[in-house]
Amino acid sequence: MAAVQWKLKQAADDKFCNDNAAEGRRMAEMEKLSLVAKALTPSPIQQLSYLAQRYNAINLAEGFPDFPAPPHIKNAAVSAINSDFNQYRHVQGICDHVARKMKEMHGLDVDPLTDIVICCGQSEAFAATMFAIVDQGDEVIIFDPSYETYETCIRLAGGVPVHVALEPPNWTLNLDKLKKSFTVKTKAIVLNSPHNPTGKVFTKDELEIIAGACQTWNILAVTDEVYEHITFDKESHISLASLPEMQKRTIVTSSLSKTFSVTGWRIGWAIAPAWIASAVRNIHIRITDSAPAPFQEAALTALSSPPAYFDSLRSDYESKRDCAVNMLAEVGFKLQFKPKGSFFVFAPLPENCTLSDVEFVEELIKQAGVVAVPGCGFFHTTLCEENSSPAALSYQRRYIRFAFCKSEDTLAAASRKLSKLVDAYAILVSRVRAIRLGRLVSKNSCFKVNSLISCYVAHLAILLLAQKSEHSFK
Amino acid sequence: MASSISTAVPAPQQAAVSTQDELTQKIPTQPLQVAKRLEKFKTTIFTQMSSLAIKHGAINLGQGFPNFDGPDFVKEAAIQAIRDGKNQYARGYGVPDLNSAVAERFKKDTGLVVDPEKEVTVTSGCTEAIAATMLGLINPGDEVILFAPFYDSYEATLSMAGAKIKCITLRPPDFSIPIDELKSVVSKNTRAILMNTPHNPTGKMFTQEELNAIASLCIENDLLVFSDEVYDKLAFEMDHISIASLPGMYERTVTMNSLGKTFSLTGWKIGWAIAPPHLTWGVRQAHSFLTFATSTPMQFAAATALRAPDSYYEELRRDYVAKKNILVEGLNSVGFTVFPSSGTYFVVVDHTPFGLENDVAFCEYLIKEVGVVAIPTSVFYLNPEEGKNLVRFTFCKDEETLKSAVERMKQKLSKK
Repeated sequence: MAAVQWKLKQAADDKFCNDNAAEGRRMAEMEKLSLVAKALTPSPIQQLSYLAQRYNAINLAEGFPDFPAPPHIKNAAVSAINSDFNQYRHVQGICDHVARKMKEMHGLDVDPLTDIVICCGQSEAFAATMFAIVDQGDEVIIFDPSYETYETCIRLAGGVPVHVALEPPNWTLNLDKLKKSFTVKTKAIVLNSPHNPTGKVFTKDELEIIAGACQTWNILAVTDEVYEHITFDKESHISLASLPEMQKRTIVTSSLSKTFSVTGWRIGWAIAPAWIASAVRNIHIRITDSAPAPFQEAALTALSSPPAYFDSLRSDYESKRDCAVNMLAEVGFKLQFKPKGSFFVFAPLPENCTLSDVEFVEELIKQAGVVAVPGCGFFHTTLCEENSSPAALSYQRRYIRFAFCKSEDTLAAASRKLSKLVDAYAILVSRVRAIRLGRLVSKNSCFKVNSLISCYVAHLAILLLAQKSEHSFK
Repeated sequence: MASSISTAVPAPQQAAVSTQDELTQKIPTQPLQVAKRLEKFKTTIFTQMSSLAIKHGAINLGQGFPNFDGPDFVKEAAIQAIRDGKNQYARGYGVPDLNSAVAERFKKDTGLVVDPEKEVTVTSGCTEAIAATMLGLINPGDEVILFAPFYDSYEATLSMAGAKIKCITLRPPDFSIPIDELKSVVSKNTRAILMNTPHNPTGKMFTQEELNAIASLCIENDLLVFSDEVYDKLAFEMDHISIASLPGMYERTVTMNSLGKTFSLTGWKIGWAIAPPHLTWGVRQAHSFLTFATSTPMQFAAATALRAPDSYYEELRRDYVAKKNILVEGLNSVGFTVFPSSGTYFVVVDHTPFGLENDVAFCEYLIKEVGVVAIPTSVFYLNPEEGKNLVRFTFCKDEETLKSAVERMKQKLSKK
């Protein structure tokens, strides 16, 4: 899933390669696509997904659990199917529960009859919202890095995404950058918190800045709060809608998926003032008409889960986070920023590593049998700020996203594989030091040992050498 | 449900001076409002009629979904999938086994061999297949030809894609395609024809001759065809023909279908689009941003469903023919002019013998005074006037319900 990312390039001019008939035919066929569809191309990340499959790699890339969904919720779905809840339905009870939760968590008064739209996942809720509020040429601000889908939904609706960079290493919000991104065409801002891929949870202060900007410029806010129940270190998720004057201009989107480990059920919602919710509903009805009926029914059970469920969700994910962070630290990642929410760690490559993020993940797959997502898919080079030189943006090729929404067994296995890599490296480094420089030669090439030791990538090459000379390593 | 959308919020007061003075600029801001495309969106008639129906305890022959449930073997397959842990994201364009089952079924039905990996896309119902097809393949300003009356989401979805609609009206008694009129609306800006066979609401099925004529037109003018075939298994009076199977047509056709109608599981939202790779590309792009993936356990069950033996489909047809006979005989005896319906589970009738001024008035009267729901067909036309004499009844209800509805009409509905 998460492996599939699409990078937008400039919409192609209509140039036909007259000389090449096959190319011409291909271009002619491409003409049949809409302009937006034409601009989308698969990224190298898809190739990594295939590589991972080939190497049977442990998957810390995909943003969904490999452990089972909670039994009480599965039973509710089974029961719904057996009880004939299988025709088109709108289960109003979901709206009642969601309204109650908004009140409990954020003190918001939401009218379950008019303010909530049940959709096929947060994905559809977000898409429907964009179609409901974005006109041709409207600008929508997104914080960078971001989940790729936001941008494309905006474009599909005729809008223009405007990316504002959060600043590494702590992904801080820069007020100057934010204010520079507003124009007369700005219609809305997108806020994902807790944040994919960084694991950042926007603070009260940051939310106040964003809220202030929304009010000054009179724009809408669209939030993605799917990780709302996954926060750590006693950090609480605060909904932007709960800030003063924000409820009337905010569309909150969320879903069952991450909270209840049922990403494949497609039950989500949008919450907004009635006049906006009604527009979102009108669009939603034309996109899918309704969400899967038996899972709507099961959602009632899920959303009635006792506080203990949410507490153990949080504490389970917090231990997984700690496990992932430790595992990465042992392998040489220096994590200045620990995730405070979501189930991702966004790890910067070690300073002495000269590989790009994609190259590194390729090596990780081949050498350690573990896969993660290169961060480049979440970054954008067209940022709303003065300094977008390649040097200034070099950090965008330096991050890897690891998912820890995995069972303890999976995380333990990943940890073992990664530490084997480290052990092997430690053994080899000590061996190499004992060998006279310059005498280390493989069958096909000669390595300069100094640069080998200093370069993380060559650690893996040493491994290869070790395998060849030692006959067995694993 | 709100019956109208307010398109603007009163302009807010000048924002109080905030601590971030730098943010305050003397630039005019727009009032908060929804997108302009919403102006074309009417509230759906179905919800309005349903609320009225509940209030009056009316028998609902309006909304097109069964009041009986789907087959056990399909439900059990879904339950098994849930228990087997198939509850996480499926591959975006479909669980491989479902893509294969769709391709197998399509081959059985049309003789066409398609690649499940490159030419089948699974969506949240046929509704989403239509939305993804429009958004992936139509550009703002493209002309798309529609046949009225049409399923009410077509118009709104086309306007989401920014298309210009050219509409050809099908007229009673047989709702046949006026080919000359169709030819006359084709222009250099025409991108596609959107068709639905068997046809909702009339039950008309496009004949071989009509399909041949449409095919020639498309090939001559290099048009695409988007064919909504959700009722293909509810074909009673003639065989269903997929336009994709005509010579020269597969390469320019998106064939859309779903599980819901065939297997009486309309709430599961499993649909699909079959198209050559270059068109599938566009459909998949849009789909991946509309819903990203389709519900996983239901997809596994759908694969099982699609491999049902021929006997399932024969029984389905037999059952529906029996239901149709009950309704049609009943409607005839009550005094409606019933138009022939070859497929789907709908029939369209002329209500004017009962003296109400238009279809909406008739339907309201039918609910309040007779206790039966029908759908006014004017919502299925670009120009509502064209549908004012017609209403649509459905027979996807159990026989008892149909008989009761007929009884009520016999007793309480009288001609003027």
